[in-house]
Amino acid sequence: MKSKKYSSFSEAIGVYFIFGIAFFSLILLVAPSLIVLIISFDTRAYLSFPPEGFTLSWYAKVFEKSELVEGFINSMQVGFTVTVLCILLGVPTALACARGRFRGTTALSVFVLIPHMVPGIVLGVAILFSGALVGVTPSIWLQSISITVFVLAVMVRTVQSRLLRLDPALEEAAANLRASSFQNLRTITLPLLMPAILAGAVFTFVEGFDNISVAIFTHGFHDRPLPIELLALVQFTSSPLVAAISGIQIILAILALIVVATTIGLDKVNE
Amino acid sequence: MTKAISNLKTKQPFFERLIDALLSGRGIWPAVPSLVVLIFVAVIPFIILLSLGFSNITISRGEIVSQTLTFDFLVNALTDPLYFTTFKRSLNLAISTTILCLIFGYPVAYLFIVGGKFTKRIILVLTIAPLLTSGIVRTYAWLVILGGRGVVNSTLLHLGVIEQPLRIMNTHWAVLIGMVQIHLPVMILPLIAVMSRHDSNLIEASENLGASRIGTLYTVILPLSSPGIGTGSALVFTLSYTTFVVPQILGGGNYLNAATMIYEQVVFSLEWSKGSVTSLILMITCLLVLVIIAIVTNYFSRWAKEQK
Repeated sequence: MKSKKYSSFSEAIGVYFIFGIAFFSLILLVAPSLIVLIISFDTRAYLSFPPEGFTLSWYAKVFEKSELVEGFINSMQVGFTVTVLCILLGVPTALACARGRFRGTTALSVFVLIPHMVPGIVLGVAILFSGALVGVTPSIWLQSISITVFVLAVMVRTVQSRLLRLDPALEEAAANLRASSFQNLRTITLPLLMPAILAGAVFTFVEGFDNISVAIFTHGFHDRPLPIELLALVQFTSSPLVAAISGIQIILAILALIVVATTIGLDKVNE
Repeated sequence: MTKAISNLKTKQPFFERLIDALLSGRGIWPAVPSLVVLIFVAVIPFIILLSLGFSNITISRGEIVSQTLTFDFLVNALTDPLYFTTFKRSLNLAISTTILCLIFGYPVAYLFIVGGKFTKRIILVLTIAPLLTSGIVRTYAWLVILGGRGVVNSTLLHLGVIEQPLRIMNTHWAVLIGMVQIHLPVMILPLIAVMSRHDSNLIEASENLGASRIGTLYTVILPLSSPGIGTGSALVFTLSYTTFVVPQILGGGNYLNAATMIYEQVVFSLEWSKGSVTSLILMITCLLVLVIIAIVTNYFSRWAKEQK
């Protein structure tokens, strides 16, 4: 940080006060996760701080609980389905929004965003009721398609904003060289869109895996996703078991973060 | 030559020719699959939700037997004091969360703008990482911190500040603290995105021209970041107004907000029409607040432009 002269004492206090809040907020962001990690190694069977011993038995117990393992597999499946559907539906939609020459491109972009603006819980209730009317019962597939509709906007917006910033001269040059639209898409546009698609994929996957608001009304009774299992577990038990699951999720999140940082770059995610 | 090219083109497989045909006109075709999905999985369900909210239905064996138009559920909801207090509580909680997130988030974004490369990296890691972990995990952390034998209580007991553990869990404060911490990254990221779009030379120029740092913050950075404040507030408000997880876990099941109310009506008491009306009220009040946020942001952006 560049050191700057402060014109007055009160000014220096003002700036350091702002920095002080910033540091406090940054600690607030990370401290709870660290505390959970510490608790997850505690030997006692109830939540207490500071821990009294060190054990990995809670981590072993996570894998002994079949509903948690199944929940994890279900959530992975939902996450993958949502991501694939969002790419298949979202990328062409973004192309139409950004490159289309038809009336109503703006209307289309707005329409696609609407389901994401609506509270997830309302979308969940609407889909549950409508499904019941036409005989579609909640299942892992209903959950996947519902979350897809909910987060499709994220993928469309990410890809679309990248498309709008691409140099149109590149595509025009390819077209002048008699590349077909397909060749143009495959060799010019898609490779340039890859970072945006990846960034969108990371967030749609996380949403598919972790979503509660839509999932709570649309998940199948027999194939329950991990967040629903966790919610029940957190409400009715108070052992460090959940801390161990949290520990696993935190490690997975760090891995995802490293993948994002090395493939897309952290600053690109937030554009 | 042209013949050779046209020969080449006819040799393309069907799939490629199809994509060619769809893309070359630059029409709406690529968006049609998602439009179909959105119509069937979002638009029609909303129409059905609306119709359920205004109809008296009799259900037998999971099927609707009769359906008649009625405004009873809406009238009941609007006159029921339970609804009033619940929605007031939700609104109060969401607005406090949004304001607190802004108070704690804005300095972080400011630090990001004036900070060096290392500071920027740390801030990005700390704000993006929580978004990759589950909301339940992050809420659970507060159970550990605020619980009867949690971090706060054991520290205070150890220091001798209190003799009995404080009852923080299952109160409004526990829910509010959890909400603010969980939604903080959602406020920080749009702020950073909007603020880093502007030329950092602006800040330097302002300071070189003799403006103080606080003066620069107030006259240059704050007006330019108003779209970020708008986006961040809108996101945090929507999420905290309609959240289900935090009140359920930190409020201990008896903290009723609009979302938990809907959940109880739909899942436990199976009152479809009541649940529909509550959902509709939630959605409309949420949209109203978003419109107000948009108008205020717009006003401030215009004001900021006039100041230049």
